[in-house]
Amino acid sequence: MLEVRNGGFETTVQDYPGRIGMLSLGFAPAGPMDDYAFRFANVLVGNPPGAAGLEITAGGLAVAFHDERAFAVCGADMDARLNGQRIELWRSYRARPGDLLELDYLQGPGFRTYLTVSGGIEVPPVLDSRATYLPGSVGGLDGRKLQAGDRLPLGEPSVDLGRVIDRRVRANLVPGYPGYNEVWEVEATRGPQADPDYMTSEDMDAFFAHHWKLDAASNRTGYRLDIYRWQWARTSGGAGGGHPSNIIDNGYPVGAVNVCGDQPIILCVDGPTLGGFICNAVVAKAAMWKLGQMVPGWSYIHFKEVSLEQAIDLLARQDTTISEENLERS
Amino acid sequence: MTEHTAAQPSGVILATFPERNGRPGVVYRNAGDSFLLVEFGEMVFDLTMSFRVLGLDDAIKRHQPEGLIEVIPALRSVLINYDSRVLPTKRLIEFVQAQYDELPPFHDLVVPSRIVELPIAFDDKWTREAIARYVQYQRADAPNIINGTNSEYAARYNGLRDKEEFFEYIMATDWWNAALGFFPGLPFAYPLDPRRAVVIPKYNPTRHWTPAGTIGIAGPCLAIYPVESAGGYQIFAHTVPIYDPQQRNPAFRESPVLLRPGDRLRFRPRVTDEELEAMIQAVYDGTYQYVIDETATFDVGEYLRFLDSVREEAEAFRRHQAEAATRVPIP
Repeated sequence: MLEVRNGGFETTVQDYPGRIGMLSLGFAPAGPMDDYAFRFANVLVGNPPGAAGLEITAGGLAVAFHDERAFAVCGADMDARLNGQRIELWRSYRARPGDLLELDYLQGPGFRTYLTVSGGIEVPPVLDSRATYLPGSVGGLDGRKLQAGDRLPLGEPSVDLGRVIDRRVRANLVPGYPGYNEVWEVEATRGPQADPDYMTSEDMDAFFAHHWKLDAASNRTGYRLDIYRWQWARTSGGAGGGHPSNIIDNGYPVGAVNVCGDQPIILCVDGPTLGGFICNAVVAKAAMWKLGQMVPGWSYIHFKEVSLEQAIDLLARQDTTISEENLERS
Repeated sequence: MTEHTAAQPSGVILATFPERNGRPGVVYRNAGDSFLLVEFGEMVFDLTMSFRVLGLDDAIKRHQPEGLIEVIPALRSVLINYDSRVLPTKRLIEFVQAQYDELPPFHDLVVPSRIVELPIAFDDKWTREAIARYVQYQRADAPNIINGTNSEYAARYNGLRDKEEFFEYIMATDWWNAALGFFPGLPFAYPLDPRRAVVIPKYNPTRHWTPAGTIGIAGPCLAIYPVESAGGYQIFAHTVPIYDPQQRNPAFRESPVLLRPGDRLRFRPRVTDEELEAMIQAVYDGTYQYVIDETATFDVGEYLRFLDSVREEAEAFRRHQAEAATRVPIP
């Protein structure tokens, strides 16, 4: 059992790939915003890469261990300390009963960090997943973020503790995050409503050239970018509505760039599943993790166009990267 | 398989199959490495497309090739979530097209379709609050907001006398729930009576906040917001909960989601804010009884004959509406 002493700004239980196969009922998959750090954190402690762990946004979490466990913290630096001793990110440690793990707030670039514990967090699955989906108030612990006093049940570890502690992710695989005012390069394909039918090719050129500022009003449902005056290939949305960004509603891919009126919004893991605005691009699944580490109100995004084949290839490579073979003894 | 044209240079359209024997054409659009968008016919409001789409959804589910995760139906499209490493895009397109080509004619179908009656309060206090916040924090000069409501704008955009006539239109037709989505259990419902088919453009920019239970329309589509959320629809009414993750009412016993694709929504009775507040409380007490005809069916052939019989009136309204819309600013 893991006892929450302080829930921090926004800490939720997540699993990967989340609640999939329910988009048609309006349930976004949820799951970690940065699945790269999340899955590596699980591999470090000997869990399946998708086992339930904690997503800590901005920081402030404090938890007490009640059993002996391996744990790892991967992602943004929040000055994590075990019993007051600073610990390294992207590395597995041993925790003993009574040990206290405390995270401060952000110390540098990045926005979220992930805590995994051997055996995984064993809250009851809801609709086949433990991922917290805040807009629908389901999953995780009572469908909400964690708070002081919460007790999280843990599963039985499948591997011997000694085998999974004191391991680290190979240094070349630990991502360096761009600074607060800097630009993230995010791979994306054109979306279903790009050019030439909905936007002009000049619109798409501008989309892939511009450095988009991430709005402060951004969260797990959507990342709002700056307002842009598009040329549009159509003068109206026809039967979808008056504005050329309007269409007759259709399903939205997770990671789509949804252009609402003049504002592009990246639909994140808690985002809407269906709607009536065009999607001019889709973030490559292998690049979705980057969204999790951008800082709302500070980061800039540069979309780098990739083909469908390149996006699929990136995904395959990412899945092979996140494995035991890429850990080393520390 | 029918002939198709090659992909567009931009790479957006992956394949196109022309209309054949009265069966609408199909366009396959790139939607990233895990999704594929399949569109049928033209970007026009044609409710009968929903019967084909739900039929195809069914056919795909029955065959379920390896690597296919889910089909997300909408009015004139399906979005397919798939694992592109297991199921190559090209093979998925061939599979979907084969299913589509083999769909039986839908004209003589009689499909199960529940009738769900929902109470409605127009221009209620919750809706007004959401609009007031939008004016204060997001956009003060939005042309779609008149006297703190969207209903006046909706009436003008459709050439209706006033907002009361707009409300009458909402209550005068049943609404076909073609799909669920956006947030959990949110219906995308379309008017079954084309003489009452109002159309309204969306918000620009979209609202940051909409309370749960709000009813809105954008394009021809009506939605009920199941949870507090952002939103882009013009909002004008409120109803009882359609989503309850705590499943506190018998209507939610089997699922936290009240509605299903293929349901017909009927808004009645018209109630005051106070009456609706009491009903919402009763939902959570478990004492409110949702009025749902569980055994109702929908006769597609009969509906097509009805459409024929009102064709001229519907066309007249559509022209009147299109003409009125030219005199109203777009948000």
